[in-house]
Amino acid sequence: MEHVKTFIESGILELYVLGDVSLAEKQQVEAMVQKHPVVKAELEEMEKALESYAFANAIQPSNSQRTKILNSLVTNLADDSTFKSKKEEAIVVTMPAQQTNNFYKYAFAASLALLIGSAVGMYNLNNQLQQKKEELVAMNTQNQRFSKTVGYMDEQLGIYRDTSYKVLRLKGTKNLPTGNVLVVWNPAKKKVMLDLKTLDMPVNDKDHQYQLWALVAGKPVDLGVFDKLNNDMLDMKQMKSVALAQAFAVTREPRGGSINPTMSEMMLIGQF
Amino acid sequence: MSKKIKLSEEELVLALRNREKIAVEALYDMYSASLFGVISRIVIDEATSEDVLQETFVKIWHSFPSYSADKGRLFTWMVNIARNLSIDKLRSKDFKNHSKNQELENNVTFIDEQRNTVYKPELMGIKDLVQKLKPEQKSILDLVYFKGYTHVEAADELGIPLGTIKTRLRMAIIELRKNFN
Repeated sequence: MEHVKTFIESGILELYVLGDVSLAEKQQVEAMVQKHPVVKAELEEMEKALESYAFANAIQPSNSQRTKILNSLVTNLADDSTFKSKKEEAIVVTMPAQQTNNFYKYAFAASLALLIGSAVGMYNLNNQLQQKKEELVAMNTQNQRFSKTVGYMDEQLGIYRDTSYKVLRLKGTKNLPTGNVLVVWNPAKKKVMLDLKTLDMPVNDKDHQYQLWALVAGKPVDLGVFDKLNNDMLDMKQMKSVALAQAFAVTREPRGGSINPTMSEMMLIGQF
Repeated sequence: MSKKIKLSEEELVLALRNREKIAVEALYDMYSASLFGVISRIVIDEATSEDVLQETFVKIWHSFPSYSADKGRLFTWMVNIARNLSIDKLRSKDFKNHSKNQELENNVTFIDEQRNTVYKPELMGIKDLVQKLKPEQKSILDLVYFKGYTHVEAADELGIPLGTIKTRLRMAIIELRKNFN
């Protein structure tokens, strides 16, 4: 404590209060103040005494100074607080707000993009679907046609395989040396069919038709008319029935056919 | 006259630390006259003193984060700022050109005669108590406290040994403590 007493009495505390100490002395005093409550109390007493002395010697600045100085400080304060509040906003308020704003903005943009994307996708998909449907319909039609064709051909093939059918090739007369057609005849069922696929005759004009005749006991019997068309004909054309026939012949007759064959217009003939 | 704000030193320090507007007003209302008393006695010229007063408050406000209550009272810290700024102003070139040397001894009286020193009811009689300081104590204290002399400069100025200066300063403050505390 002797050391503390000496320190107090050295007068350094007074100089410290008066701001008249070197940096080293200042640090020494501050250390002592921290360490010894007595020194701290002593220092505070001196400070209070000098403070009162300054107070007693105070000079009131003119009233205009108050406004002027306060304004300059408040301007500083405003600057500071603007800066401070900005900082606070940046940390506490604005950033989350911006984040939210951005989030909704981006979310909205993303949703919109997604919506447009989906719409385009749907449209494309729908188009593709329609296209596929059409393709499917086309394929089905084709398929049906094929199966019909196959069925038909099968049927035809069945006819040829069926031994109850007789097959007779009619050949061209001098009127049509290259003419050719197959007649299929089932005497039991009295069924006569022309295999139009094998028909090799010129296309008939619109005033004429070809007519098939059966020669039954030397007399021609009308078995019906048929056309030679431009396109390929697959049909087995069923003609009128006949039970007995020695021969078959085709003549060219006016459209609708004739009661008796025009012999001069005989095109094909074949006999058993 | 505008309503003056007064806070306890703790409240004021806290408010200043929180950068509250009310702190600035309280600071001014509580300490401007005391600080202006110191500044005026060093700078003399009234307009310049007012400038320094403003600089002092600006500096107090800006350097406030560096103030620590552990190292001393708020006023001690502030009065040192005011004194240093006053001395800086006094030593600055433009001010030297502008102002002629004035007689030191009479400055305090000169100022006290020129300006209305504040008399507060609670300080009634203080002037008399201050007068109780022995003249040799008062002159040294005023040189250092109000004129911004270092004790070394005061020793030179008064032609008194450094030790004596220190002793007289100490005795002057002890006398003040008796009167004020």
